[in-house]
Amino acid sequence: MSKKRTGVFVCHCGTNIAATVDVAKVAKEMAGEDSVAFTQEYVYMCSEPGQESVVQAIKDNKLDSVVVTCCSPNLHEKTFRDNAKRAGINNFTCEIANIREQCSWVHKDKAKGTEKAIKISRSVVRRVSRNQPLESIAVNVTRRAMVIGGGIAGIQAALDIANAGVEVVLVEKQATIGGRMLQLSETFPTLDCSQCVLSPKMVEVKRHPNVKLLTYSEVQELAGSVGNFRVKILKKPTFVDPDKCKLCDECTVVCPVVVPNEYELNLSARRAIYIPYAQAIPASFTLDEEACLGLNPVVCGKCKDVCEADAINYDMRPETVTEDVGAIVVATGFDLYDQANMPEMGGGKVEDVLDGLQFERLCSASGATGGHILRPSDHKEPKNVVFIQCVGSRDPAKHCAYCSKICCMYTAKHAQLYKHHVPDGRAYVFYIDIRSGGKGYEEFVQRTMEDNDTLYLRGRVSRLYRHNGKVRVLGTDTLSGQNVEIDADMVVLALAMVPSKGTTEIAKVLKIGRDKDGFLAEAHPKLRPVESVTGGIYLAGAAQAPKDIPETVSQAGAAAAKVIALLSQATLSRPPLIAKVRPSHCTGCGMCVDACPFLAIRLENGKAIVNEALCEGCGSCSATCLRAAIDVKNVTQLQIFEMIEACLA
Amino acid sequence: MINIKDIRDTARDMLAKGEVRTVIGYRRGSRGMPAEPAFITSPEQADELIWDPTCYHNLSLYLVHDRKISAHLQKNSGLPIAIVAKGCDARSIVVLMQEHYFKREDVYIIGVSCEGTGVLDERKLASHLNGVQPTLAAFDGDDYVFTTAEGEKRLPAREVMADRCLECRIPFPKEHNLVFGDDKTGRQLAEPFAALTKFEEQGNSERWDIWSHHFDRCMRCFACRSVCPMCYCDECVVDSITFPVTQQTSAAEKADRVRWIERSAMRSENITYLMTRAMHLAGRCTDCGECDRACPVNIPIRMLNNKMEREAREKFGYEPGASIGGPSLVASFLDNDPGDFIR
Amino acid sequence: MSEQQNYEPRVVAFLCKWCSSAGSDLAGVSRIQYPPNATPITVPCTGAVSPMYILSAFNKGADGVLVSGCHIGDCHYIEGNFLARRKMQLIMQLLEFIGVEPNRFRMSWVSAAEGAKFAQVITDFVDDLKPLGPQEKLKKADRI
Repeated sequence: MSKKRTGVFVCHCGTNIAATVDVAKVAKEMAGEDSVAFTQEYVYMCSEPGQESVVQAIKDNKLDSVVVTCCSPNLHEKTFRDNAKRAGINNFTCEIANIREQCSWVHKDKAKGTEKAIKISRSVVRRVSRNQPLESIAVNVTRRAMVIGGGIAGIQAALDIANAGVEVVLVEKQATIGGRMLQLSETFPTLDCSQCVLSPKMVEVKRHPNVKLLTYSEVQELAGSVGNFRVKILKKPTFVDPDKCKLCDECTVVCPVVVPNEYELNLSARRAIYIPYAQAIPASFTLDEEACLGLNPVVCGKCKDVCEADAINYDMRPETVTEDVGAIVVATGFDLYDQANMPEMGGGKVEDVLDGLQFERLCSASGATGGHILRPSDHKEPKNVVFIQCVGSRDPAKHCAYCSKICCMYTAKHAQLYKHHVPDGRAYVFYIDIRSGGKGYEEFVQRTMEDNDTLYLRGRVSRLYRHNGKVRVLGTDTLSGQNVEIDADMVVLALAMVPSKGTTEIAKVLKIGRDKDGFLAEAHPKLRPVESVTGGIYLAGAAQAPKDIPETVSQAGAAAAKVIALLSQATLSRPPLIAKVRPSHCTGCGMCVDACPFLAIRLENGKAIVNEALCEGCGSCSATCLRAAIDVKNVTQLQIFEMIEACLA
Repeated sequence: MINIKDIRDTARDMLAKGEVRTVIGYRRGSRGMPAEPAFITSPEQADELIWDPTCYHNLSLYLVHDRKISAHLQKNSGLPIAIVAKGCDARSIVVLMQEHYFKREDVYIIGVSCEGTGVLDERKLASHLNGVQPTLAAFDGDDYVFTTAEGEKRLPAREVMADRCLECRIPFPKEHNLVFGDDKTGRQLAEPFAALTKFEEQGNSERWDIWSHHFDRCMRCFACRSVCPMCYCDECVVDSITFPVTQQTSAAEKADRVRWIERSAMRSENITYLMTRAMHLAGRCTDCGECDRACPVNIPIRMLNNKMEREAREKFGYEPGASIGGPSLVASFLDNDPGDFIR
Repeated sequence: MSEQQNYEPRVVAFLCKWCSSAGSDLAGVSRIQYPPNATPITVPCTGAVSPMYILSAFNKGADGVLVSGCHIGDCHYIEGNFLARRKMQLIMQLLEFIGVEPNRFRMSWVSAAEGAKFAQVITDFVDDLKPLGPQEKLKKADRI
């Protein structure tokens, strides 16, 4: 390999670097490096004149590579690589040595700072001396998208994408789309009916020519990468043909099997054959395979006998379908924190202690009680109801450290709804503090307190238990400093929002990261809030973090916009810093194949082959290979070896 | 108790029927008591095969040699090779197959169980026979019987057995086509990792004192590497002189290889060599002990590998050579791998 | 003692590009001061850190080696840090086994948001290395 002609450009960054690092000395030391043909220092290398001088120096000195010693590559790597390209050399022969964030800003001693800056710069110069010119990899884009999760987030994202003229596959695990929002009665702060605003969107999804709806289906496998994913989906059998089903409901009348109704959060029962809600989309019954006596006319067969439309087919089998898409939105929503984790709140075992979603179903006109608030134990109207906020939230020692964000608002809503249903009832709310940021939110909480005569008690509940047919709630009012004891007819717990079970599962299948609380991790907390760390996979709704409906809808729209922008490109370019095999050294042992998180390596004729479209360049293969037979381009073991040497010289 | 006639009959039969190309086994050595590897290619040679306490060698090394030679000659090796394999040797073969070095059908494993004993450690024997040179060693139950000029000497096997055999957890070739001897898995003559545990009881500086002396003795003869069936790389990453040069090899490739260590046998370079080897054998070494036996300057190389084996077992639940299909130790992980050392 | 106080350990710090290198950037932006003893080498992922790098750094005279990356579950490459955790555990055990002081090798998880932690990790490491003095065990002898 012929010797490189590298230019080293040392930036003062005003005094940001120059105050702690002797920049002239850095430049002088680098001039002594074998591969360095030119050095220069300048007060602001990233300024227009600074960049121009780099271009000029490259041309004048016939440089083939550039090291800019300046700030973090996160800030100006792209700037200087584009600049190098402008000067006519390959952009991947330009690297940044970070002597500001990693050096001048964190050290005061100029001699030591300079010494470290020299080591950092020298190691990058050595690396660049072996950088290869590389071209970005162009990949074609599949102009189709997938949305996983059919709650409000998924519905919104799917409609936005579909309306932009892009075909979208919406995958939902349950028998109907609608998700958590379909379980709500009214929504804060306007108290408009949840189903009334959601149902039209559900119908639109069903009818939209660009939406392919797969309900009762689960994503099982993902292959490929941004622009070209291949997704395997398991379609579970519903045993009912939705095109034939006339929704006459005769089947549920004859079905002998009664099981708890999960859509009503077990407040009521359903049959083995059922429709989740009257508004379900697709509007069809589903036969629950696990509950059914055996899908066998000899054993039962009552539903099939009674079905005049002949919609029931016991021979349906699970089906695997494959969809090719260019981008994916994950909108798999939330669950409530398990009451069993909270023995102080009864651990889910005390009667008439409900969670927020159960209370929604009690308020809902389509719910188990037909919209009458009746307590489950005796179906009487509760006259004293205690609402407890922050149950499981904001408790880093025992439960979830984070704030679930929506509980203050929905508890206020619950108190209002309760008062509307039971005007002579008494509502108590235990709270730590009220978080009501949002348009019309604070006013809504104030209305709850003032117009709806709800008693807000600032403090935690220490215990609750059954006592004389009621639930005794022991707590503290920290404002008056007194202990409070309330014998409530019913207690509603504002349980923490946690990532849904489906979210946890899908993160594994899609191999997208999760944060410390298990929510899906965004690529950057501020600047890339709807992108996952995996290119082409976007996030929407409560699977990413606790959020309310308006925020969810906004995020879904943002994710859809990202998808549309991505799919509007004919080709994508991928960074070419990917793995490369040295066939002479490869023994075909397959360790890299196993180590690769992206299934990007396969064995062919006893040698490893890298799929350039799948490789992300993480280097796990290289560190695993015993034979140094695989390297990431421009981050080779030889380069790291020489960088180590430079650091310790 | 294994009857050598069974092994000979098997070998003769397979060769006569043309089922295998070669039977790799042991035969009487030309230098006194120790056995030596034998490559039996015709039925008439089958009676040369022996099975005694000096059958130390891990013969899977020769499967590696065979593959290298056929790769070099660019010809398909054709019929399978039959090989006599102890428990540890068979596990080596499993690791080689796990690493796709050859296919299961390329090898016919004639397993031999180590039953109540293992193989002899000649260094231990020397201190028992007071300088008398035995000419023959034989198994007899839990004893070894030595033929010497002064008559027959009988010793309990456990007194002169290799440490690795005393500590062996699975003295039986689970992977086999045919096996002789009883499965005595569970016969534990010493605690697993007993020698290692004893060594580790010493403090940090004591351990360094001992190891630094060992490292100083290493002369990088690479006997440990040569004898190890797992060291089948064409180029050893810490010995760039082994770089395989073909017609396609460019000058840049030759120039650009990493020279992790220097060739001279300095302590620092010896350490890096031996440590790299231990790392590269983690999850692959099946404790056949050949490195230890081959080392001309008595470096307890096995202990380094043993340390890795123990870590893999205790921290990651990993057993080398347990399955052909499973992933390698360092190419896989478990969600609950210990991470308490990370700050 | 005074000699030990003057002794400045030389540390090679392998930082993953996505978390720990970004965390060190945050330490910089926040102007959190820490000792200048550690020279960073940015790698794509801790999963890309070959045990050879650690042995090599000690061979070339590093007094301490740090490997730092994303917390478990946060890896940009999903699984890289899981693979690293296993490899680093093995090399750490092996180094200790032959009698290298345990404090010479360290692994830490530092996220992009943990600038203060990054500074603390370096500070603690350097503090722990100082009493050990120069690393001579694995270091290649200087040429005369």
